[in-house]
Amino acid sequence: MTSSRQRPLAGINRRQLLAGTAGLSALTMLPVKAWAEGTQLNVRAYLEPDNFDPLNASGFLEELLYGCIYRKLIQYTPGDDWGYQNDLADTIEQTSPTTIAFTMKPGQMWSDGYGEITAEDIKYSMERHMVEENNSRIKPDLGPFSHVEVTGTHSGIIHLDKPFAPIWTIALPYLAGTVVCKRATEEAGGKLDSAVPPTVAGPYRVVEQRLGERWVLERNPDFSGPTPDFERVDLVVIVDESAAEIAKEAGDVDFTAVGPGSVQRLQDTPPEGTTLSLHPSLAYYWIGLNVNHPKFEDIRVRQAVQHAIDVPAILQAAFFDVADPATGIVAPGLIGHRPEGLIPPQADFAKARALLDEAGIDRLEINIDVLNNVTATTTAQVMQAMMSQAGIDLNISVHESGSFWSLGVESDGDRWKDLELTLKRFSMTPDPYYATAWFVSDQIGDWNWEQFSNPEFDKLHEEALSETDTDKRDAMYRRMQDLMEESGAYRFITHGATPNLYDTDIVPATRPDGLPLVQFFRKA
Amino acid sequence: MKPFRRTLAGRLLADPQAAIAMLIIAALVLAAVFADLVAPYDYSAMNLADRFARPSADYWLGTDNLGRDTFSRLLQGGRIALYVALTAVSVSALIGLALGMIAGYGPRWLDNVLLFSFDTLRAYPTIILALALAALLPRGLSTVIIVVVITSFSEYGRVVRTQTLSLKHAEFILAERAMGAGFGRIVFHHLLPNVLGPFFILAAMNLPVVITIEAGMSFLGIGVPPGTPSWGATLKDGFDHIRTTPWIIIAGGLPLILVTLGFTFLGEALRDQLDPKLRRGR
Repeated sequence: MTSSRQRPLAGINRRQLLAGTAGLSALTMLPVKAWAEGTQLNVRAYLEPDNFDPLNASGFLEELLYGCIYRKLIQYTPGDDWGYQNDLADTIEQTSPTTIAFTMKPGQMWSDGYGEITAEDIKYSMERHMVEENNSRIKPDLGPFSHVEVTGTHSGIIHLDKPFAPIWTIALPYLAGTVVCKRATEEAGGKLDSAVPPTVAGPYRVVEQRLGERWVLERNPDFSGPTPDFERVDLVVIVDESAAEIAKEAGDVDFTAVGPGSVQRLQDTPPEGTTLSLHPSLAYYWIGLNVNHPKFEDIRVRQAVQHAIDVPAILQAAFFDVADPATGIVAPGLIGHRPEGLIPPQADFAKARALLDEAGIDRLEINIDVLNNVTATTTAQVMQAMMSQAGIDLNISVHESGSFWSLGVESDGDRWKDLELTLKRFSMTPDPYYATAWFVSDQIGDWNWEQFSNPEFDKLHEEALSETDTDKRDAMYRRMQDLMEESGAYRFITHGATPNLYDTDIVPATRPDGLPLVQFFRKA
Repeated sequence: MKPFRRTLAGRLLADPQAAIAMLIIAALVLAAVFADLVAPYDYSAMNLADRFARPSADYWLGTDNLGRDTFSRLLQGGRIALYVALTAVSVSALIGLALGMIAGYGPRWLDNVLLFSFDTLRAYPTIILALALAALLPRGLSTVIIVVVITSFSEYGRVVRTQTLSLKHAEFILAERAMGAGFGRIVFHHLLPNVLGPFFILAAMNLPVVITIEAGMSFLGIGVPPGTPSWGATLKDGFDHIRTTPWIIIAGGLPLILVTLGFTFLGEALRDQLDPKLRRGR
């Protein structure tokens, strides 16, 4: 692989990904306001970022923060195509299936007198995830990473134990690729989770945390890149989508994701001075059935449930028709996406009834556990109404976030054994490995709440990690999703969509799935 | 026999505020009792083609996000509200009545223990307790009732205890004792009738509070399960889509406003009629 400033990722074409998606402009006729010097950008965060230490990062909220205050060798390129661009790296290339050589731009500085960013920082930042006692939550993102060999102040070689295809899509441009300052971290005792980090390298630095309200960031005067357009960036914590939308229209935030239910209204009567953009999401929603629950031991019962779930009705009611049915857990445009699933999205109540009859069940009473958000509860209510036509009585149990996400976790009690149906949404990165990783046998009692266990699936998951032939890899991930669906444990719903609402006087930068890359935001 | 206008019911009907209150309450109770007959649609029937319909001749209060008729759901929600309110208020009032009389008439140490318990429970925020219990108990009406009972019986206990204490050393009680009246006679023939006035006033005033708690818990997602047509759930559905379909939240709020007005007016009228000091002041 040759060095490049910007290149598309293999097999991912944004235009394909954007089929059926349009940028929906709601443009005001008023002239764009002139930005005054020292302006402030307010971006909504849907939850509080966990902390400053990549060891403890759990998802996109941390990425939102880290993108502002830290740097990486490479970063996702904002825009419509999945790709990456060099950040600290001057050149970076795959020199063999298990080695990646890089050189760094000289003169890239840490703030507060911590000196230059060197290859030693890269080595330290990546290898600390592999140290057992550090309990890194994102260690799996690095796959078979072995170590970094420092060959000079600004150069090194990343060594893998075996080929790892997601190195370019997940490991380097996402959370695990975040570079922290070796000296500062060691001075802090090896962890950065207790307070604002003593040094940063990104365009902004955190000056204030108002927990539950906002994180205040200001320009980092020691940033070695181009001066960012905004003097101050506030990450405004607003959990509820409706509240975020109201905040946007009140001028309290400049950029926010909105709920699918608002898209039609915002298209029809756009608020003055705002733009709506709609992006296909990589996330995936599905209904999972616990195959080890006594009610679902007979595969015909599981299949009956699969056929009794009407995906188009769910998409109409809960997603307001802004999202398409999913064929699996891998979104369109990614390696491993299936053009069609094995079971059509439409329900087949007669077939479901027949399967129940075959299984000797007259009326099936089951329970679904869902989160207490409007999308989940609406989905469950649609299911409840539709499934009764197939002789299935569905009870709905709603949980707040903390309670819900511990349901299937073995270490949190015995509830994981009693789960029947669950509706879940997992976020995703642009590599299918990140989707299948949660459904291997080892994940039972952790994230594999369906307790799905298939030796062929596990084997394919391992092999696909090292497979560098794109076509072969594509076939492997398709087969894995076939196995999931054939087990009767999964009914795939949708990947959803990400509608963003923002001021016309900013130029937002987003990943192709619509998630913001705040460090690249500009004034119009 | 007293003429009707001098009975409690007669005096209440003569009071315009009380008459309006009883009219509102009667309308709500009748609507709830005969919901199945009055409702134009099945409250749970989903019709996605007609979702978010505006109020019209077909749908008097419009439809919700699943195309369900809001008016039919509110009628059914009235049943839930009354069921929760009457059950929770009855249970908590009876517990409070018993404990309050024990505290007021019993030994000092028992009074102190019960008083401490009442104050502790009264100090605990209802919603926080509801959130904690909702995490432990299965979601449903029974959990709502348990939350209300736990948080409100102490209020009755406090009031009844105060009344009992004030009567405990009254001359007529001392006279009864001197004449050899037993515990049961004093409590049931003398104390109980005299504490019932404030007790009923408090119960009437608490009914809308309980209905609001149920609605609040359902609004927060810790009340009745999704799909159950409680007033709070209708409010929540309305809030979720307030920018596009404000009539749902308005419709969901109307019965809450009416029931609060009705029971509050009735409670005030009862207080005016049952409190001798207020009656003398008229």
